[in-house]
Amino acid sequence: MISRSPGGDPPAETPILSVENLSKSFGSVDALQEVFFSVDPGEIRAVCGENGAGKSTLVKILTGVHRPDQGTVRINHQTQNLRHPQAAQQQGIALVAQELSLAPHLSVQDNIWLGNRTVPLLHRRPHLRRQARRVLDIIGLDQLDLDRPAGSLTIGERQLVEIARMLARQARVLILDEPTAGLSDVEIERIFTALKELSSRGTTIVYVTHRLGEVFELCDTVTVLRNGKSVRSCRVTEIDRDGLIELMLGQSMREMYPPSRTSTESPLLVVENLKISGWVGDFSLSESSGQIVSIAGQISSGAAQVLRAVAGLAYDATGQVRIRGQPMSLGSVRGAQESGIRFISEDRAREGIFLKLKVLDNLIATRLGAGFLSWSALHQLASNLARRVGLDDLRLGARAGELSGGNQQKLALGRSMGQEQKGVFLMNEPTRGVDVGSRRDLYKVMRQLCDNGNLIVMTSSDLEEVVGISDIIITMYRGKQVARYARDQVTMHQVLTDITHPRFRPGERKTES
Amino acid sequence: MLLILTVGALATPGFISTPSLAALLTSISFIGCVAVGMTFITLSGNIMSLCLGATLSASSLIFMAGLSFGVGPALALGLGFGTLFTAAQGLLVGYLRANPIIVSIAALALLVGSADYLTGGQRIYSPGDSLVPLTGTLWGMPVEALFLLASAVIGQIILSYTRFGRHIHMVGSNLKAARAAGVSIWRTVTGSYLLAGFFTALAGILLSARYGSGDMELGVGYDYDAIASVLVGGTAIHGGEGSVTRTLLGVAVISAIQVVLLLYGFSQQMQYLMTGLIVLTVIMLHSLGERHS
Repeated sequence: MISRSPGGDPPAETPILSVENLSKSFGSVDALQEVFFSVDPGEIRAVCGENGAGKSTLVKILTGVHRPDQGTVRINHQTQNLRHPQAAQQQGIALVAQELSLAPHLSVQDNIWLGNRTVPLLHRRPHLRRQARRVLDIIGLDQLDLDRPAGSLTIGERQLVEIARMLARQARVLILDEPTAGLSDVEIERIFTALKELSSRGTTIVYVTHRLGEVFELCDTVTVLRNGKSVRSCRVTEIDRDGLIELMLGQSMREMYPPSRTSTESPLLVVENLKISGWVGDFSLSESSGQIVSIAGQISSGAAQVLRAVAGLAYDATGQVRIRGQPMSLGSVRGAQESGIRFISEDRAREGIFLKLKVLDNLIATRLGAGFLSWSALHQLASNLARRVGLDDLRLGARAGELSGGNQQKLALGRSMGQEQKGVFLMNEPTRGVDVGSRRDLYKVMRQLCDNGNLIVMTSSDLEEVVGISDIIITMYRGKQVARYARDQVTMHQVLTDITHPRFRPGERKTES
Repeated sequence: MLLILTVGALATPGFISTPSLAALLTSISFIGCVAVGMTFITLSGNIMSLCLGATLSASSLIFMAGLSFGVGPALALGLGFGTLFTAAQGLLVGYLRANPIIVSIAALALLVGSADYLTGGQRIYSPGDSLVPLTGTLWGMPVEALFLLASAVIGQIILSYTRFGRHIHMVGSNLKAARAAGVSIWRTVTGSYLLAGFFTALAGILLSARYGSGDMELGVGYDYDAIASVLVGGTAIHGGEGSVTRTLLGVAVISAIQVVLLLYGFSQQMQYLMTGLIVLTVIMLHSLGERHS
């Protein structure tokens, strides 16, 4: 139920989608409990909540993947029985999932019609092309060539094509699940413009996200789920960020970010003239232990590539790297590990952890000695690591793929911890796709690591996080460093300016420390 | 399912008789050794090798031929050949990232071609009875079965208790993640192929010792039985999950089915058909199971 401002407008048109008393359990887990949810046509509704709050279950029920134990789903006041995804599609409910399902070798045109049930066996190409063109125009891709293979598009364009595909299915309600992870700011703007256009044309948008900034930027209203219940739905103007976090967690969230430190010891990690063809022109840094250093930049800035190169994953990187004064050669993961580098990938599912192996196997993956393994010792080690990182150590035998995003990230971090030698943790997007509660846990662990004498260098596209957690902030633009700041010397706005349109030619270093 | 099988097997006339069980055990041993080797290849994410049967035969040939130099050298030659030839394939797959199935087919062609050329399709017989210790029984069990047991135990120890074994699981589970974790992909893959070759060569030597001769026909079909055993045992076809112990179970099931079919009078073709159907069913059940989790 939307709480309108006092003395506000009378209840508007019929809600296009509403859910009453919806409950769903999986065994002993109550994923949803008596949830109420209702959206009007053309509304952009954000859905927020921690992992496990029930967001994805709600989405799956709306799209016909699961059937509720109790409660009703109504579209235009008509009760629906969504037995399977095709039924949802017929009713005009469409989902743009986090994992895009475009076929990279097929053209844009083909992808738009992929899976569309209304395309007859013998279809008229010109007619379909015209419709595809029309749909692309609506979302702002009017310049896009219909015959380009989808794989050649940028990830932002692919996202838009996915939305176009849903529109071609006459979607009335478009559900988007974490659509902006991995997108640059420019691309996010495009998506927002497209979504706002759609909203003005009457398409309803349900926007599931962890990114609270986007909630205020894009959405009209927000629903907060917590522990399977709908806690509150209201207009975006009636609440602020802290209030949202409080609703999501059920408690006040003052100390999200632990206090910062700066260090004046001799540098632990020195990078000089790092060059990666196609990504980074000439990057250098020199940082001491005990600090969290963030490199802020868009996807095209090359920040993530810098970390990957130092971790040994870039075969064509040139430059010098020294750890504790000792030179380290680029291009060898093993070599980097032995020098004390611990890398946590931005793509944890594909590169960070072993989804099919047990949590135990994941935690000890890099800690196996030569000779015969002692499982009791390894078990002990795994328990310790799990505890340090906030993972329930009763779940050591569970498969990594069963954990939530936040827990998986903790797993990825836990694997690199607990070693005697103090080293450098390189983390790309450490909290991407991670819920607020797990984020707080991760920040605590990160701060602890630094207090113990390690150095953390991370990249992040979440500017609030960058400004909140870091001791030192380095900004990058198109492969070159723009500036270096201490935390209390810079604002989010300044960082944003640096990474989107720095006011001087890149290559001129502006340093304040 | 195992229960049904056991009951069915026990109910078949002639199954329980000692010669029948002994025959079963012996045939299990040969397939079993190859299957143990195949497990390593499958676990490392490389699906299977279509060349193991031919490698078995070739090793037996070399072993027989080497007997003129004595049993010791013959063993070294036979085992060495199988191990190294398969390890070379592992190098191609592991270092160059060549497609494992294609590599095994190419190796198969190479092997069969060269063997035909060199031996003219003939058998090589063993001189005298210097090989009796490798056949016959020890403590009431056929020697071959003891070798299988030893192989399985060693294989499983490697998988569960060495870093190398854990690396095989990691590489099979997710190659990119293994690389990011600092695992040497080519070393792990080559190593698993090396072990596969070793166990296969062992089977070949034992086989030729029992039958007194080595020829290229010996190993025909062993790859299929081996991979069937691996899959029925429960090792995932795409790698990362599984164990030698499971494979042993699979070997037992497949062999039992084959023997039962044989006792009921079904032809060889029928056995192949059944094996194929079982593998298909197991793969389907696996996929359905994965879909639900």
